[in-house]
Amino acid sequence: MMAFPQLRHPFTTSALHPPGSTSVLYQGKTLTLSTTGADDELLIRAEDLTRINGFEVKAEGVCLGDLCIPLQDTFNVTLADQNWFNLSAFARFIGQPFVADTQNRVWSFAEIPAKRESTLSAAMAPEFELTDRKGAVIRMSDFKGKKALIVTWSSW
Amino acid sequence: MPVWQRIYEEIDNPDFVIICAAQDTGGEAVAGPIFDAAGATYIQIVDENHRISSLFNFVNVPSSAWIDETGRIVRIDEGTYSQIHAISDGQETITFGNDVYTPALKDWIENGENSPYINAPEQVSENIRTHSKEQLKADAAFCLGNFFRVHGHNDLADHYWALAQTLNPESINFFRQNLTLTEEGSAGNTFRQRISEYISQGKDYYRPLDI
Repeated sequence: MMAFPQLRHPFTTSALHPPGSTSVLYQGKTLTLSTTGADDELLIRAEDLTRINGFEVKAEGVCLGDLCIPLQDTFNVTLADQNWFNLSAFARFIGQPFVADTQNRVWSFAEIPAKRESTLSAAMAPEFELTDRKGAVIRMSDFKGKKALIVTWSSW
Repeated sequence: MPVWQRIYEEIDNPDFVIICAAQDTGGEAVAGPIFDAAGATYIQIVDENHRISSLFNFVNVPSSAWIDETGRIVRIDEGTYSQIHAISDGQETITFGNDVYTPALKDWIENGENSPYINAPEQVSENIRTHSKEQLKADAAFCLGNFFRVHGHNDLADHYWALAQTLNPESINFFRQNLTLTEEGSAGNTFRQRISEYISQGKDYYRPLDI
């Protein structure tokens, strides 16, 4: 079946990230974290949370705009006198699916259901941020005041 | 693509944008030349991770959404053909597409909320496909596969692409994207058999165009 292996895998093998690092994929972006805790859960420094998904740890909870998730005991982990935020526990709590290749330390997070439902259920276009072919960042919200046709296609 | 460019030029309205997103793991190398050949001046995105399909719950290409000035979706999820296309192998000619979508689009651009071609909010909500947590997880698996692919970790790429298809068997996008890289391509017997099964289960891989 693999008639076009050069197309299927045209890339030369390269390191996924520096040794000991972890890659986190979310909303089309890849973030490399230089320090994480254990391998079977994704433990990050609290300050990295905002860089990953925009949430921020506050006294009232883990918040993104008006959405605040009450802090849970499972979110905070202390290992070797180091405090960590358990992002995988947080994702499970808010029902955010993810797929992890723990052996290679790569975690891929899906969209957060609560965020999706708040827009699509109201028939509002979801916000996104993608880079166009000119290198410009394109956001759905850039087009308020204009009509937009969003159309997908493919070379296949 | 050339047809969308012609339509974009015909509409020629500064308050209208086309955001055209190639759902292509092949990236700029495969999608870029097609945009360039069309002389595209609208917004062009090469969306290797199929994010637009994920966000709008599209399962196939070409698919579309109309977004009004307030950000509200007024029409969504239908086979978005700009004209009638004909493909011939020398013996048989297959036609697909339609000649009613483009006039409807132009009517909406001109008449806005008075256009008969926009859908009521409840109809739009009904037309937005559901996207289960399993399907969201499939999106994450697909992205993970792409990550491994661009780093040359081929077995892992294949593993997570297969997982994506297992988690979301309704995604024609994932299925055909993978088929593209086989000898028979994305429209061969495997595709036709799959579509036949899909339709026999009462599913639409394009929502019927209601214009």
